[in-house]
Amino acid sequence: MINRLTRMGLLTALALIIFMVEAQIPPLVPVPGVKLGLANIITVYAIFTLGPRDTLLILLSRIFLGSVFSGQMMTFFYSLSGGILCYLVMLLMRKLVTRRQIWVCSVMGAIAHNIGQIIAAILLARTPALIVYLPVLLLSGLLSGAFTGLCAQLVVDRLHQP
Amino acid sequence: MIKTKTWIFLFSLLLLGSGLAAGLLFSGATTADVVEIRQDGRLVQSIDLTQVQESYSLVVTDEKGGSNTILVEPGRICISHADCPDQVCVRRGYLTDSAAPIVCLPHRLVIQAAGETDLDAVAQ
Repeated sequence: MINRLTRMGLLTALALIIFMVEAQIPPLVPVPGVKLGLANIITVYAIFTLGPRDTLLILLSRIFLGSVFSGQMMTFFYSLSGGILCYLVMLLMRKLVTRRQIWVCSVMGAIAHNIGQIIAAILLARTPALIVYLPVLLLSGLLSGAFTGLCAQLVVDRLHQP
Repeated sequence: MIKTKTWIFLFSLLLLGSGLAAGLLFSGATTADVVEIRQDGRLVQSIDLTQVQESYSLVVTDEKGGSNTILVEPGRICISHADCPDQVCVRRGYLTDSAAPIVCLPHRLVIQAAGETDLDAVAQ
């Protein structure tokens, strides 16, 4: 129990630090929603090594605390809608991939994350025209998802040798 | 289990498709004389850019105090200042630079060509 709690606390703190450090980097391209999403490494790692419930708790804590610390409460809604969708898709994908394909799960999650974000943006700004940003977000999701997924796969390999 | 090669193939296709679509959308231009400034979907102001004689600035503030300064020039429009940290809307440049609307997500502010979306018609 204490072991589990410690691990979850540590992972949440790690995810939060990564999230905050990444928030200091200016956006690479002037398109809303495009970012590396490095904190996703923790979510992918948790999906493959902890249970679905613990992963969800880590994810929700990180999203909530991240929005509080960055002082942008609107970020909360975009992160939450993307995060939940990403979580659900990765949970599903976990059953469909091998340990050498963790990055595939992450890419699918990133795509789901970006679709969730754009849905939130369309609803909040009440502007269906924002859908034109979808191709750019898909592009960024594919690349960043593959990168964070490979990072997570390396970590899982190193820490949990079969 | 689906082979890794199959996944790479699928993702490459998607990458190529979205890359092409993004390239087409963002190399295009918004051509409109009348533009709409909307916040939370509500029309704040509609401006006919061909009627603008002299450049002026316009400050739009949301209910939580977040503000964007919009620069209206003869024939073109952009956001010149925003008090949010990401500055995505400022770096987006003039509306005519690409086919996508200018958007400030933290303040739910959108500048787009008039008549692009008829949300009221959808609601009815």
